[in-house]
Amino acid sequence: MLKSATTAALTAALLALCGCDRAAPEAATAAAAPQHPDFSGLYFPAGRQQDPQLPKYTPAAAAAAAEYEKAFTLDDDPGRYCQWPGMPRAIWGAPFTVEIQQQPQDITIYWEGYGMYRKIYMADHSPPVPLLPSAMGHSVAHWEGDTLVVETTNLKQYPYMTRQATSSDAHVVERIRLEERDVDGVKTRFIVNEVVLTDAKIYTTPIKITGTLRHRPDLQLLEYTCTDALWDEYLNERGLTLPDLDALPDSQG
Amino acid sequence: MKKRLNVLLVAALAAFALPAAAHHSFAIYDMAQNIEFDGVVETLKMRNPHMSMTLTVTTPDGTKKTINFVEGAPANMIVRMGLNPADVAVGKPIKAIGAPRKDDPNAYFLKAIILPDGRRYQSVGN
Repeated sequence: MLKSATTAALTAALLALCGCDRAAPEAATAAAAPQHPDFSGLYFPAGRQQDPQLPKYTPAAAAAAAEYEKAFTLDDDPGRYCQWPGMPRAIWGAPFTVEIQQQPQDITIYWEGYGMYRKIYMADHSPPVPLLPSAMGHSVAHWEGDTLVVETTNLKQYPYMTRQATSSDAHVVERIRLEERDVDGVKTRFIVNEVVLTDAKIYTTPIKITGTLRHRPDLQLLEYTCTDALWDEYLNERGLTLPDLDALPDSQG
Repeated sequence: MKKRLNVLLVAALAAFALPAAAHHSFAIYDMAQNIEFDGVVETLKMRNPHMSMTLTVTTPDGTKKTINFVEGAPANMIVRMGLNPADVAVGKPIKAIGAPRKDDPNAYFLKAIILPDGRRYQSVGN
């Protein structure tokens, strides 16, 4: 009995010294870990389907919308001034490339349009606490089988009533899955994202919208700098002209 | 200057063209019009959210006039259609199709660029 206990203690000490006591269980866990879909890749928006019923505003939001529509037209567009559409609007957003990079601890999504990016933290990898309200919010995800379920909060308000407005109370749940579809005889990967937006300050019922991305490995993610025109306006107001360096002769004459 | 007025229904959008709901409504423009200008690129800003361009056109009496395309497709979108910026560099001859602003007929939305060899890059409309 004593010998057995001593042997066990010695074995434990040796395992601790070599680190084997940590490595072995992790290896076992990794081997048993479920294989989840990998969303990584380049994509292009491929459609949006919305609940056919129009969203119903709360009375207070309806009044705000009426005032907004008196004063604003569709051409009073925050996107023209490089404001990010943010979540959940980014899901069905502008016709530009989207790149997804998936790691065990988080998923990063880059939208070429407006140069937006977003982090989705995995709930089982100690996600950070949110620091500031933001256009993309704070997203934490878990797997339900092959479906990634993402909950997003901590959104800044988006008070553009004709553009799927949201308050900072908005709560977005996404159910994201891969689908393989036949496109002109070629099996093609799609990401289907079923979005449910709940915002009790604005809407009386949840809003359901599905955004789809088509895998497009042939595309590139281009830079989308959006503020050049705004800077030009400032320079014009100040009466300043920048030197045209491209017009200078090179050192070869 | 070759100028032609066409009233067309802007319905069928070319592949990759701006979807109807994209960005903003374009309601400030008379998008039913397709006015063609043959000219030489005077200035070009290939940028987002919209490219812009001025074109020098020569009128039948020989005088030169600047046509101001205050906005067009996003630069990223039109290069993804295949337009090489070098083909619309300052000094290059092109044909441009525009829709005038309702409140300023001297400012246009750039609906399409047609290169001398016939290649056409359509941002919106037909």
